[in-house]
Amino acid sequence: MRNIIITPKRIKKELLILLVCLLIAIAVNIAAIISYQTSWWEILTQMGYEIAIALVLYFIFLIVRVLKFFILKIFSKK
Amino acid sequence: MTSKKQNKQSVDLSLRQFIKDLGGIAGGTALLASTPWLQSFTVDKLSELKKEKARLAVIGTGSRGQYHIHNMLDIEHLEIVALCDNYIPNLKDASVLCPKAKTYTDYKKLLESSEIDGVVIATPLNWHAPMVLDALDAGKHVFCEKAMALTMDECKAIYEAYQQTDRVLYFGLQQLFDEKYIKGIQMIHSGLLGDIVGMRCHWFRNHDWRRPVPSPELERKINWRLYWESSGGLMTELGSHQLEICNWAMGQRVPVSVSGMGDIVYWKDGREVYDSVNLVYRYANGVKINYESLISNKFNGMENQILGNRGTAELAQGLYYLEDDDASPAIQQLIAEIRDKVFSAIPAAGPSWRSETKGKYKPYAIVKNTAGVHSGASMIGADADGSDLILSSFAQACITGEKAKNIVEEAYVATILCLLGNQAMAEQKTIYFPEEYRIPYMKF
Ligand SMILES: NC(=O)c1ccc[n+]([C@@H]2O[C@H](COP(=O)([O-])OP(=O)(O)OC[C@H]3O[C@@H](n4cnc5c(N)ncnc54)[C@H](O)[C@@H]3O)[C@@H](O)[C@H]2O)c1
Repeated sequence: MRNIIITPKRIKKELLILLVCLLIAIAVNIAAIISYQTSWWEILTQMGYEIAIALVLYFIFLIVRVLKFFILKIFSKK
Repeated sequence: MTSKKQNKQSVDLSLRQFIKDLGGIAGGTALLASTPWLQSFTVDKLSELKKEKARLAVIGTGSRGQYHIHNMLDIEHLEIVALCDNYIPNLKDASVLCPKAKTYTDYKKLLESSEIDGVVIATPLNWHAPMVLDALDAGKHVFCEKAMALTMDECKAIYEAYQQTDRVLYFGLQQLFDEKYIKGIQMIHSGLLGDIVGMRCHWFRNHDWRRPVPSPELERKINWRLYWESSGGLMTELGSHQLEICNWAMGQRVPVSVSGMGDIVYWKDGREVYDSVNLVYRYANGVKINYESLISNKFNGMENQILGNRGTAELAQGLYYLEDDDASPAIQQLIAEIRDKVFSAIPAAGPSWRSETKGKYKPYAIVKNTAGVHSGASMIGADADGSDLILSSFAQACITGEKAKNIVEEAYVATILCLLGNQAMAEQKTIYFPEEYRIPYMKF
């Protein structure tokens, strides 16, 4: 069985991507708060939704990256 | 006691001031035109009375009669000069509250007294018509409890007698003097909820409606509510208030038909009247009142919902909600909007098949102070529900002789609708509003 080694650099990169996703989710919430004219407290009170959106974005991103990885691999073999 | 009294008077004055102010604002006159019985109910009109007092008698000193006496003792421009009841324990209890009042057991004797300007009638429903007609005949001003009468013919007779007399006649529809109903209906008439598209009223209790009876021969006297000879059951006792509110909201429009079902579901104790009723009243334009009352489950309490295409009013609680005013957090609204767009993009998945789950609506108070909210649990009445103010207005009218516009008509319409509802349930068919009971006040 092959060992998968996750390097500290890799972890840092993934966390950074997750952080960017979270910032995007917060930005979406801020845009929604402005557009629906609700309370600014929702940036904090709706943190659960923001994290959920961040995770969804992260996984979409992950799928894109995995697809990109396989496509590049196929082309590089040719 | 003094602070309670002061509090009652300040409620009286603040409502009177509100009504006076309303006359001065743009559009206020139009709103007052839809509540014309309030036009003389202002601070100025009250101050015109100076120190005059209406001399009133209370006929029927049971639970509602004594509740009225408590309220009347706090009203400065009236004095209770006589009491009448043919059940001595109730007469004695009332006499303790106002010891100076002369007591009678026969209301006809009381009506002969020249020292009485007006009477407050709080007897069982079967006594309303004879007492109102006799009192008007005797030249007295009359305040009678709702509903108007036990039969449609009696209602018509009262209505006609009122057309002939110069005496004042009020019926105990206290919501007509309840701040949250007045302001709520005025908001509705000013278009806040858009077009009225439906109404839902219910009154739920978990109580058998029975009162303890000291000896069996008094059963029908004390538990008069349970027998058709003296009561219209849930419809006249509870529904009359709610149907009046619907018609008030609809601006004198009256339903053209009613169908419904009534049963004794739970309290099978020898009573005759239903303990469960479900009715649909239909207006000519298709708007419907869904009316439901049940007295073996109180989960839903009491409510009068007026549904408009732009919002909903829950008048018993004094609240309203707007359709386009989703109170959910912004992010949830955004997700819902995206989801709706995605679903409506799929032809088979349009909103028509998706079940509408109840959204969270932000409640707005019609009146800041929500005191006097009637949960529907009390059989006698709620505090500050307009019962004291309607008596204050009646006493004022006894002094000035000014008839209150529309109160008799509102009581007439509401009572006829209750009785038609009872007929529809008894005959198990749709009943159309009969020609012979239509009056010029009604719009169909
Ligand atoms: N507006 C409201 O919210 C409201 C609330 C409760 C009751 N009510 C109405 O008030 C009325 C009385 O209800 P209640 O709960 O007080 O009933 P109740 O039985 O407690 O009192 C009725 C009284 O009338 C007396 N009475 C009966 N026949 C009489 C007669 N011929 N002469 C003199 N007295 C007579 C009885 O002895 C009794 O004391 C009913 O019409 C009821 O619908 C209105």
